[in-house]
Amino acid sequence: MTKKHPVFDYLNCVSCGICAQACPVSALAMRKEGKSGKYRNVFPEPVNDRCIGCGMCARACPMEVITMEEEDDDAG
Amino acid sequence: MNSFMGKVLRVDLSTGRWEAEKIPPAVYEAVLGGKGLEAWYLYNKIPAGADPLGQENILALAPGALCGTGAFLTGRWTVACKSPLTGGWGDASCGGLFAPAIKQCGYDAIFLSGVSEKPVYLFCDGKTVELRDASPYWGLDATDAENALHAELDPVCRKRPCVAVIGQAGEKLSLISGICNEGGRIAARSGVGAVMGSKKLKAVVLCGARPMPCHDPEAVKALSRELGRKLLKMSLPNGLGVFLGPGGRMMGHLPYLPLDGSMTALMFRQWGTQANTSLAITSGDGPIKNWAGTPKDARLMDLFYNPEQINRIESAKYHCYSCPLGCGGRLNIRNRRYSTFDETHKPEYETLQAFGPLLLNKNLDSVLQINELLNRAGMDTISAGNTVAWAIECFENGILTREQTSGLELTWGNTESILTLVRWMIDREGFGDALADGVKRASERFGGKEYAMHIGGQEPGMHDARNDPQLGVHFAAEPAPGKHTVGMAIQYGAMSLCDICSWAPPATLHSKEKDLEDTEEMALISKANACYSMLTDGAGGCYYGEMMGVHMWKLIEYLNAAEGWSFDGDHYMEIGERIQTLRQLFNIKQGVDPAAVVLPGRMRGEPPLPSGPLKGVTLKNKEQISSHWRAFGWDDQTGVPLPETLERLGIPALTEVEA
Repeated sequence: MTKKHPVFDYLNCVSCGICAQACPVSALAMRKEGKSGKYRNVFPEPVNDRCIGCGMCARACPMEVITMEEEDDDAG
Repeated sequence: MNSFMGKVLRVDLSTGRWEAEKIPPAVYEAVLGGKGLEAWYLYNKIPAGADPLGQENILALAPGALCGTGAFLTGRWTVACKSPLTGGWGDASCGGLFAPAIKQCGYDAIFLSGVSEKPVYLFCDGKTVELRDASPYWGLDATDAENALHAELDPVCRKRPCVAVIGQAGEKLSLISGICNEGGRIAARSGVGAVMGSKKLKAVVLCGARPMPCHDPEAVKALSRELGRKLLKMSLPNGLGVFLGPGGRMMGHLPYLPLDGSMTALMFRQWGTQANTSLAITSGDGPIKNWAGTPKDARLMDLFYNPEQINRIESAKYHCYSCPLGCGGRLNIRNRRYSTFDETHKPEYETLQAFGPLLLNKNLDSVLQINELLNRAGMDTISAGNTVAWAIECFENGILTREQTSGLELTWGNTESILTLVRWMIDREGFGDALADGVKRASERFGGKEYAMHIGGQEPGMHDARNDPQLGVHFAAEPAPGKHTVGMAIQYGAMSLCDICSWAPPATLHSKEKDLEDTEEMALISKANACYSMLTDGAGGCYYGEMMGVHMWKLIEYLNAAEGWSFDGDHYMEIGERIQTLRQLFNIKQGVDPAAVVLPGRMRGEPPLPSGPLKGVTLKNKEQISSHWRAFGWDDQTGVPLPETLERLGIPALTEVEA
């Protein structure tokens, strides 16, 4: 059995946080440290095991940097 | 479908009753959401003469029309009420995550009336609304209370709650207190925290997860993507911040140059608003020594408040909801002198100027500590800084004695005394008690009114009208006086409003002397600035979106896509005009005399400064305000909107909607 989970293209993410707020179960938070071009920044990342694979984050993202990919549930 | 939820939440704190009230679509079309919806509602519902700290006052919390649609820079929530500080229209806005949380509960606004007997907090998860006991949180500062509420509620809520909360200042009814979210981000102005405190309402906790509607989400997202991709390609060279202070020295003597909106985006992304501090110190933009000093008095202070120095201790960036810029940040202050905290929000320019050059305080570490103390207490740093500046000038001139100041040696730049006084203001202890209600009340009690910098009761933001006479018009003519975010020459230059509005004059390179003149062109500029600012607030937009200009942050296109409308810029500017007129009507209804709201003599340049970039400048503020009112279709002597203006804006019919 598989379910979907969000995968992020951080290079094109502007850290607007729209995805994290759209998530109905607060499975994402703006915590991942990285860089936007030359700037240090924070990015969304899954922070718990609540993700239900609904894809609300991907649909809300204006930058189209989130894709929902299938993962093997058994592999966690 | 449009972007509105179609209803608002009304809660009576006296009875504990709540109801969802439908809003007619005509109201949204006329005033949008956010400040516009609040202006319509509060004008209709708050009776004339209502006690700002009593049962009849209504505290409103609202996101704007574009919140949740995918539009960038639309995460502002506006608090509005009758202000206990001015007696008229009061509002304050804030970023963070609270704006979408209101919509996700299913509402376009929350209106809170009455007074609770005991401390309570409002809980809403989008289905139920409850007033819960807040006694465990009463007495805590805003950040500790927010953290405690999260500790209790996060494990039992499906969606992590968003919390708007008051600190000790609001609880103690300080008239310069605000409402906080996200660990000390604060809707600070107009004394909105005291109104929440008077209702014994510690917090509003929201954890709804409803989808937020939008007419054409793909079109809105395409507009955001275009802006986001532009921003990803832009950057400034490292270390440039050290040149801002010297650059300000030149700017002080140069004509006004219309800036490209991308400059705003770059500066705020790189440093946050604190980028302005060293520039303001040397250019004449930032007030020094209680608005009586010159850059000479603040010599070398641009080095102490250099933006690169502050960025060096930034531990993480912070973005408000839907913002691709991220002007916010968290600073690590664990080992800084005076610090009793591990971290603080990156201080805003206003805070740095108000507790730095305004007081001739050279110690950045003390301002970082004050920033965190006031953010936690929920006290407005602009009003607090102006009030401390008054106290120092009074002490220096013998109006206040050591006995009256509870033993404090209040001299310019006396860091230790300033810190102590701030703590006392928060706790209402000793001399601090008298200052916790702002500079107008303090000067009425102790004297020194000539040193009390307030406009209609509210202390002004940290930009000098002698440097920017347009700002002086808005400081006094704005229904919530003293606010610095309604209009400025530099803002007008960056916005290109003439490209969306048929009557807005083009921004040009011009001498500063031209802005001192009372002309029809200047009146149209100030009107256009105010209308676009109100439109932005109705949309829930950020001031820095405005500052990017209409070609980067495409507000008109955003609104048409989100609402399914096809209105032009003139139509939208009229919505801004309607919102501003409703706010003015609120003041008239509450007995505020607009003609009596004036800048203090010092701020008008009476007497003029003897040296520096503002040397010899005296404003024609009263004449410019008359012309501004005339441009709005208000009586040019009294500021009362004329009947034909109300008809043109459809306001009688709009208020009939409510009736």
